[in-house]
Amino acid sequence: MPAQSSHPVAAVLRGFARYALVAAFAGVFAIFAAIAPSFLSGANLLSVLVNNFTLLAIVAIAMTFAVSAGGIDLSVGTAIDFSSFAFVSLVLAGQPVPLAILGGLAGGILVGLFNALLISGIGISPFLATLGTLFVGRSAQQLLTNGGNPVYLPPSGIPEAFRLLGHGTIAGVPAPLVIAFGIIVVAWLILARTRFGRVNLATGIQASVVRYSGLALPRYTAATYVLVSLIAAVAGLIVTSTVTVYIPSSGNAFLLNAIGATFIGTTLDPNGRPNIPGTVLGVLLLSIVANGLLLSGLNFYWQQVATGLLIFTVLAIGFANRKAGARA
Amino acid sequence: MLVDTSYPPPSLDGFNSPAHAAEGTPKPVHGRSLAAVALRQGSLAVFIGVLVYFSFAAPFFLSIGNIGNVLGQSAIAGVLAIGLTVVIIAGGSNVVTGGIDLSLAANMGLSAAVYASLVQAGYGDGLAVAGALGTGLLIGAVNAAAITLAGIVPLLATLAVMNIVAGLELVLTQNTVVPAATDFLSALSAAGPFGIPVLAFVLLGFTALAAGVVQYTPLGLRLYAVGEFPEAARAAGLRVKLFITGAFLASGLCGGFAGILSVSYLSGSTTGAGDMLLPVVVTALLGSVFSRRLLPTIGGTLLATLFVSFLINGFQLLNISSTLVSGVQGLLILLVVSATTLLQRKGNQ
Amino acid sequence: MAAPVNVDQEDEIVRLSGIVKRFGGAQALSGASLAVKRGTVHGLVGQNGAGKSTLIKLLAGLHQADEGQIEIDGIAYGALTPPQVEHLGIHFIHQDRLLVPTFTVGEALFLGREPRIAGTPFLDRKLMRQKSAEILDRYFGLRLPNSALIGDLTAAEKQIVQITRALLDGPKVLVFDEPTAALVRREAELLFGLIRRLRDEGITIHYISHYLSEIVDLCDTVTVLRNGRDVATLPVVGTSAKDIGTLMVNRDIAELYPKPQVSLGEPLLQLDRLALADRYADVSLTLHKGEVLGLTGLLGSGAKELVRTLFGLESPTAGTVTIHGETVLCPNPAAATAKRLALVPEDRRRDGVALDLSVTENITLASLDRFSRAGLLDRAVEKRQASALIERLQIKTDSADALVRTLSGGNQQKVAIAKWLSRQSEIYLLDEPSVGVDIAAKVEIYTLIGELAERGAGVIVLSSDIEELLGITDRVLVFFRGKISRDFISAETRPEQILAEVTGANETLRHAG
Repeated sequence: MPAQSSHPVAAVLRGFARYALVAAFAGVFAIFAAIAPSFLSGANLLSVLVNNFTLLAIVAIAMTFAVSAGGIDLSVGTAIDFSSFAFVSLVLAGQPVPLAILGGLAGGILVGLFNALLISGIGISPFLATLGTLFVGRSAQQLLTNGGNPVYLPPSGIPEAFRLLGHGTIAGVPAPLVIAFGIIVVAWLILARTRFGRVNLATGIQASVVRYSGLALPRYTAATYVLVSLIAAVAGLIVTSTVTVYIPSSGNAFLLNAIGATFIGTTLDPNGRPNIPGTVLGVLLLSIVANGLLLSGLNFYWQQVATGLLIFTVLAIGFANRKAGARA
Repeated sequence: MLVDTSYPPPSLDGFNSPAHAAEGTPKPVHGRSLAAVALRQGSLAVFIGVLVYFSFAAPFFLSIGNIGNVLGQSAIAGVLAIGLTVVIIAGGSNVVTGGIDLSLAANMGLSAAVYASLVQAGYGDGLAVAGALGTGLLIGAVNAAAITLAGIVPLLATLAVMNIVAGLELVLTQNTVVPAATDFLSALSAAGPFGIPVLAFVLLGFTALAAGVVQYTPLGLRLYAVGEFPEAARAAGLRVKLFITGAFLASGLCGGFAGILSVSYLSGSTTGAGDMLLPVVVTALLGSVFSRRLLPTIGGTLLATLFVSFLINGFQLLNISSTLVSGVQGLLILLVVSATTLLQRKGNQ
Repeated sequence: MAAPVNVDQEDEIVRLSGIVKRFGGAQALSGASLAVKRGTVHGLVGQNGAGKSTLIKLLAGLHQADEGQIEIDGIAYGALTPPQVEHLGIHFIHQDRLLVPTFTVGEALFLGREPRIAGTPFLDRKLMRQKSAEILDRYFGLRLPNSALIGDLTAAEKQIVQITRALLDGPKVLVFDEPTAALVRREAELLFGLIRRLRDEGITIHYISHYLSEIVDLCDTVTVLRNGRDVATLPVVGTSAKDIGTLMVNRDIAELYPKPQVSLGEPLLQLDRLALADRYADVSLTLHKGEVLGLTGLLGSGAKELVRTLFGLESPTAGTVTIHGETVLCPNPAAATAKRLALVPEDRRRDGVALDLSVTENITLASLDRFSRAGLLDRAVEKRQASALIERLQIKTDSADALVRTLSGGNQQKVAIAKWLSRQSEIYLLDEPSVGVDIAAKVEIYTLIGELAERGAGVIVLSSDIEELLGITDRVLVFFRGKISRDFISAETRPEQILAEVTGANETLRHAG
């Protein structure tokens, strides 16, 4: 085994690359603070958290569980949509809000169960299984909505309790942010500190060892994909409460950024493992970049290019570093 | 000498076989290749069955005009799917760590925008073609560098590049339609011999060219080796990274070429190229059921592309909601993949 | 023991002298020399870590030496590159057969030097097919269907294809790196015949193996490496496997097997007429507390399948399994581990340890329940447990948080065993526990097996190393064609007796008698 190179410059570079994500975050933060004075204002930072951060954070955390188990879930958007659709339909049918919320969560879980059947039952690779679910789900939504028409909640009929989910505050903090924070903490505990989280990680690293260790691999895998869709379903309910409408196949908007944030987050871990703090930092980075670019007055379309370049750079440094680490 | 006499050809499976062979235990792979044959024949049968059904239900379906139209409409998706197929062959069939190019559809969008913008700015078709192909090639080069130099997994590298490219398209077009009309473009989108669109001939010609290279030259064979078993390719003296780079360049070029076709087909560049991505991915993955070894092939990809196009066309002729198409695509991929997985599992037991 | 050979320098086709190679601080080779005489079969042996693979990689041009000289055909080279080595006519037959599984035999043979149809850029598939069929048939008597894919071939057939690939280049030297690792005995014997024939045709063979008996059977000369240098080069005639082994370890092989005397306790595991479809039938046995039971048999004899059944990886078709007097069913590994069964699988790097999990994470993977407080893992307790086991098993690792990938094979195996100690398993199923482990670590693993028995566990060891089995077990059961053919008391048995039983030689005699 070649020992690690002990050259001090190499060591410094490696240390820097390991924290590429933190450095990128700090750098971006400083630049925006310098060029857009309103960026640092409390109101703006809160708006970043509420408008850019919350929903993506929830979806990215869902994705983190799938990626940690060595898979991916391309159908998180479908779970969001099904949750939203089930909720809106139940409210329109005159059901009480708590029941509609449960219905919404169940709608999302349905997607997860379907994935679990395909991945854990039949043994299809997660990418292909959830890609299939995405397509079938899109078609199903179009059939359910007469070709893809949005379903509105009647302005008068929206129960106050539900509006709170998207618009209310808890102890002065916007409710969606509180929910997202709660999910972050619980997800972090589950992934880093529970038996389920450890097995989930081990599955992603070497599934056959999990099986040979006497752990019920299919059950863990199934639970992972159900959990992913359950978390995504919560995002679906918050979206619906915020915009009071269900738009077919709209949940996919989060997909690519959620994958991006999750993998950006893996650069934070020395072994490149998916992790909740990394994912959250990844989402924060994407969020402040979106907000800061908006404030900077840069052409709206250039903003997307800049965001893409930033993600690309963080990934490149993170992966190049891991490659160097593997070689050393 | 042992070698000459002591074992029965064709198999060397000797030492343990008394107990084994007596019971006629089949070699696992045997079951698998039978299953592969069944799957391949089954898929072809379904394809033909669907065509036959449509031709009875909608007599116009089988007319030369209709078939030509379907071929023409498939040209853009077909070229993209072929590009993706090359990447999947060179990268291996594991979608996450292996070959995938998520930037293809965005690439087509940007290349089309470059073409249309150059035409708008008063440049000729020659420069516009070079611009579009150059754009595609450049995107392929960026992908290749990210994957082979930085070591980013293809799924992520091309995802990030996709975002950048889609953003650049928006910058260039300000999210509007850029119309473009030149003689060359109208010639491309016109009807050719037998009233069949020129684009249909373009698709067939392009497929033949790609299949010729990938399926029939040493280069193609090496591409498969690199994707299926990089260690073996390396042991045979092949430079794996060079092939992967080449595959992404080829796929980038396909994106640029598809961009030209789409400018011609839509008389300009339009927004929403990204929507092509997932259907193209599904098509390229579906194509492997049409090959003997269940590997991605250019011919298989063409068949899968046409299958989906004929489905859409048949639905239209029968007045079935086209919203069903994505559902059918989804079910198809699930069915095909389930069948492959279950058959392989059975074969392995 | 024979005296070192004096090799006539002019007759040497490969000569490495005074090779030094360091990786960071670690010295892999410290002045190793190797001289291979033209037209001979030259063996290279050494423990894991002795420097065998480094030396071979130097010759292959994959590493560059820090000091020393490489001469090929009398010409000295400072640094070699892989294409250059190939150009010089030296070809390597790797242990993991590097052939694309989805290729036809013809495609695999000609990959990288494909024939084209004259005047076109296209592959001449017909020529590839014909030529490969012709070569395989004429040279090896091997006839395969045209459509056969590499993935369909047996390990031995794949090896032949790989040798043929090398032969197509007209090689001067063929280097075999552990070629028999995946072959059953008869396939290996075919390979030996082939190697002798290649030698007779003037090709020099360099043969690297763990199996000393192969070296003695096959080689003309052998070089023994120890601690990064060559300790002897001997003619094989007049040298025994034991002599070579002694040179490798520098201590007597008898010290290898430290078996403690343990008195047997109550029955732990009883099998009554257990059967699995066409794999084995009528298997009855009893494992007591404190007993180490050996199983052996050829591939397909049913021994491995029995172990897999006990761990819930196969479902028996008849018979019963009784643990502690209670009839149990183990339809999956989860159920088996619940009955305090433990399996240390043969394919360690795939099934035994997760290479990219840390030592601690591997050790506690099967016993996470023990470290959960109110649903959360108590990582301090987890770490304490792991550290205790690392200490007890003397697992050599930088830290408890190091990835298992960074450990040597023997230490990885100890981690795989520690995982079950942490779960306090009672019945240990060890499948080839010492494969790919260096001799020092082997002794530690054997000691550990003895300790398990002393603490009242029952251990079943499945191994194809008969000396090892006799050294560490109380009894050995031989499987032949799906049945237990005989039961031996280890202390009273000689290896030849077991070998005869394993290969069915006795069977024939009995029938004849």
